[in-house]
Amino acid sequence: MTSLCVSCKGKGHCGRPACPILEKFKPLGTTKKLSDNIFGSSPPSVFVGRYGYPHVSAGPLVPPDVVGKEAGTFDDPGSWNGLGIGDIVRLRSSLVRSNMHFNVKDAATPDSMLQKTQELALSQTPVDTEVWFYKAPRMDLRFDGILSPMGPAGEVTKLDIAQNPVVPRQVDRMVGDCDVAAADAVKEMYSADISTDHINRLLSIGLLGKKRKIVPTRWSITATDDMVGKMLAEDIRYYPESSEIQVYSGELHGNHFEIMVIPGPLAFELIEIWMPRAVWSGGTTHVEADWEDHNGKKGYSNLGGGYYAARLPVLEHLHDLRRQATVFTIREITPDYWAPLGVWVVREAARYALSLPPLKFDSIDAALTDMSIRLNTRTDEWYHKSSLLDRRLNQRTLLDFL
Amino acid sequence: MFKAIIESEKLKETIEAVSSIVDEAKLNLTPDGLTIRAVDPANVAMVSLTIKSNAFEEFTATDGELGVDLNRLSDIMGMAEKAETVELELDEESHKLVIRMSGLTYKIALLDPASIRKEPKIPQLELPASITLSGNDMKRAVKAAEKVSDHITMGVDGETFYLEAEGDSDRMRLDMLKDQLIGIKSGDAHSLFSLDYLSDMVKSAGKANEVTLELGKDFPVKINFQIAGGSGEVNYLLAPRIESD
Repeated sequence: MTSLCVSCKGKGHCGRPACPILEKFKPLGTTKKLSDNIFGSSPPSVFVGRYGYPHVSAGPLVPPDVVGKEAGTFDDPGSWNGLGIGDIVRLRSSLVRSNMHFNVKDAATPDSMLQKTQELALSQTPVDTEVWFYKAPRMDLRFDGILSPMGPAGEVTKLDIAQNPVVPRQVDRMVGDCDVAAADAVKEMYSADISTDHINRLLSIGLLGKKRKIVPTRWSITATDDMVGKMLAEDIRYYPESSEIQVYSGELHGNHFEIMVIPGPLAFELIEIWMPRAVWSGGTTHVEADWEDHNGKKGYSNLGGGYYAARLPVLEHLHDLRRQATVFTIREITPDYWAPLGVWVVREAARYALSLPPLKFDSIDAALTDMSIRLNTRTDEWYHKSSLLDRRLNQRTLLDFL
Repeated sequence: MFKAIIESEKLKETIEAVSSIVDEAKLNLTPDGLTIRAVDPANVAMVSLTIKSNAFEEFTATDGELGVDLNRLSDIMGMAEKAETVELELDEESHKLVIRMSGLTYKIALLDPASIRKEPKIPQLELPASITLSGNDMKRAVKAAEKVSDHITMGVDGETFYLEAEGDSDRMRLDMLKDQLIGIKSGDAHSLFSLDYLSDMVKSAGKANEVTLELGKDFPVKINFQIAGGSGEVNYLLAPRIESD
């Protein structure tokens, strides 16, 4: 196992036909026999694959025989905090993925199958759905670094939506307006309290923007995290600076977060520490870091989607408090994170940490000492990777010379 | 009121000199010209710029302030040809800046000057050493340092101006003797600076014929040069880093 696995997370960079790390999780799924016709409420959820782009497979995810409110939990990571990793994998593995084939440009002129999928994606609440397959979907549990695990899949012959979708007014407006750029539509909807999951679903199935395209789910998740984050940062830059050094700490599914909020201009750094025997790391510790100062981020992060997923809750937090701050974040991934659950874990773990009461400190050093007590990895293994702390502690300001 | 005509190159130089430090700035207008003073959000780098009215082909202004989004302005100036002149006018009624160039007219929204970061107090520094060199040499030195490190030490030893950079495994040293410089005033000077900031400043300074640096021991560096054909002046101030042992 090499550091390649940590950065690739199952994308196939090693050249093997199947990821050996992901393969070993396959037996975890449920083995319920399925027929070639299923009925259930889609949470709602749609999936768009990235293989063969621009010819992609896409379709709704449906839990057989689960209807109504209960179905909603299948695609709502925010409600999974009480579950174990095994429970989540089982929950996800019972979602059946229906595959249809489209060109990404079909989004603008959808046939009836795509139209129905789009209609389902509009809904805020579960939608009763019936799907007929060529043959009964076979168990095929899929894992990925960004995506939540997914269960069996089948090729669709017919798709029916047996219920009217519940469409929030703001969603209806943005989807109906082909003159609004995708980024502006995202902004509008987010401001109207539409969840990022819902926004991501609309973006993915090609319902937003001027030139509409279907977007593979893996890309749309990070695009949504990034767009919403950038939009929050625009506001935060004008807020007054926070007044004290605070440390937030919390852990979810083996993703341990230490978040230090320091008075200063908006800046964010994420240090990712993969402990030995965490899902991608093999036998050694891997430390990677990325950051942005008040000028924001240019280009794609070397930490991939996890960077944007961790940044979003931090920006949401600052936005809620109407304060700007320099935020130093450590995500330590412990062996408790034994199966990859998708990038939502990063988002939810950071959100969870930020929901707990913070500790206050007089100095950055005192805060770092406190953080190090809860981390398994020694400070000297990650400290030198931090550009933010280096700038903060070693760069003098002009105020020192007034 | 404000109305001015200026060669596009001079205006581009002016914007670039300030946008290397901040994205938004307050233009202070007087009948004699315009000044801008701004500090970056981390209070590490400061710019103070003056353009005299004679840099313009035509200049009329009463005392006032304009809040400008520099990225926006620089983007629009990308449409102007090198030799062309650009006309700027404040539309008082809509409070927009009208920009005209060879048939093109833009109206750009101005920012509320109160929403822009307060103008900084300028530290009054008496720096012992001073070096004058060509902008090109300055640019080369910074570029050389970027190859090995994120930081650069600038100092004076006798009548030699030296620059040093030390990375994890590599080092760079550049000595510039008196005859390679335009001028040097010896003094006790040795300070470490972040290349992140310095590289941005050198983008503008590198185009000047003469750049004057004033240095001290663990003190900010003052970087001074002229723009707009000698009718404008830029002063940067950059705080040093703490030297680790």
